[in-house]
Amino acid sequence: MPIIPILLFILIWEALSSSGIFNAVLFPPPSKVFLALLGLALSGELFLHLSASLSRVYLGLLVGSVLGIAVGLLTGRIRIIDKSMSPLLHVFRSFPAVAIIPLVIVWFGIGETAKLFSISFAVFFPVWMNTHIGASSIPVRYVQMLSIFKTPSFKKWSKVILPASSEFIIAGVRTGIAIAFIMVFVSELAGASSGVGYIISISQLSYRMDVMIAGLFVLGLLGAVTDFAFIRLIKAIFPWFGKK
Amino acid sequence: MKKLEIRGLCVSYNGMPVLEDLQLDAEEGEFVAIVGKSGCGKTTLLNAIAGFVKYSGSITKPDTLGMVSQDYAVFPWLTAGENISFGMTKNDEAVLQHYLKMIDLLDKRDRYPFELSGGQKQRLALARALVSNPDLVLMDEPYGALDIFTREKMQRWLMHIWEHERKTILFVTHSIDEALLLADRVLLLNDGAIQKEFRVGLKRPRAEGTEFSQAFLKSKMAIRRALS
Repeated sequence: MPIIPILLFILIWEALSSSGIFNAVLFPPPSKVFLALLGLALSGELFLHLSASLSRVYLGLLVGSVLGIAVGLLTGRIRIIDKSMSPLLHVFRSFPAVAIIPLVIVWFGIGETAKLFSISFAVFFPVWMNTHIGASSIPVRYVQMLSIFKTPSFKKWSKVILPASSEFIIAGVRTGIAIAFIMVFVSELAGASSGVGYIISISQLSYRMDVMIAGLFVLGLLGAVTDFAFIRLIKAIFPWFGKK
Repeated sequence: MKKLEIRGLCVSYNGMPVLEDLQLDAEEGEFVAIVGKSGCGKTTLLNAIAGFVKYSGSITKPDTLGMVSQDYAVFPWLTAGENISFGMTKNDEAVLQHYLKMIDLLDKRDRYPFELSGGQKQRLALARALVSNPDLVLMDEPYGALDIFTREKMQRWLMHIWEHERKTILFVTHSIDEALLLADRVLLLNDGAIQKEFRVGLKRPRAEGTEFSQAFLKSKMAIRRALS
């Protein structure tokens, strides 16, 4: 069933591009985009640049998420940390993540550190915000059980607070996944010698719109696949997740 | 020996008094039921004993408490076995097996709460409360969310457990029948204080059909008259 709208979209796009209504150079049909993608795959370039982009995405996602979860749990449960840190975090959260890239380039150059920083920075905030909300809205009864059982600190955090906040944490990480893919593209556009964003930026110089669109689709598809795989992984590791 | 002694207990919410000058005692091994209309302060009383709300007055209670509430409060992310283990200070497989067997969930040890029925979850909540060997167990309308058949089954099961464990239990309910069936004493909570006390003179263990006996019905009428 889900395949039908996709096929319909491709057919309409093919028809419009081939009809002559639009400039086929600027708006290539999907058949041409597919051939461009095939060319990249057969030459080995696709794998090379995909690996570069994906490693940046996943590392940035990991660093941003771990920090976001840690800080979110603290601000969500410890009032003094919340009152002192949250106002500043809310200010930083409002910075458009894309807009900090020029600053990042000045600080770190155009190497891997800059890209890691940009992606982690952008991922951190939705993860932090969601974790904070989850941790601060744990059902009162669970917190009361901690008091009844005189639960020691480590057990309290690992066996109750973290899992009780998990629904919100997962939602935050899923938002982080989408943002990580956006940020890897933007940071590769700003300066890189590898990656899907790099392919797209050099294709623009030679008006290879088919390669540009192919690159965009690959990124988008990988973003969707990553999100799908992530949620499947969560449900496989935690069978109780999402169940009432 | 007294396990619980409450004197002059007062609790207010936003300046509105909920409990006023409440006195209550419970002896070791005693099953005390508290009945009252909705909103009379039954849950507030248990929350004050558990230390969840601010109060004035004095509450002398044991160090270790157990608590079971209507919404079970079992952790959805832990299996049945892990939920019971959570109540232990030290992991002990033999103790865990004992409690799983007691609540008839030995074969469901690795199931999660979403895979259990309401009655199974409530038994799990009680096992978790008992495994820490509390000196006082607070039960806040634990069977309120169950259907009548499961509720009756759970009442019989609780009586059977209590006969063996002989814990001091403070059991809040709005059902007079349930209070008389389970308890040694029934306390009426009204206008923020214990208005009246009824000693339940029914024989233990409670026989099948106790709730239809003349003594039971007489006690029930007396409590109803006092409540109205």
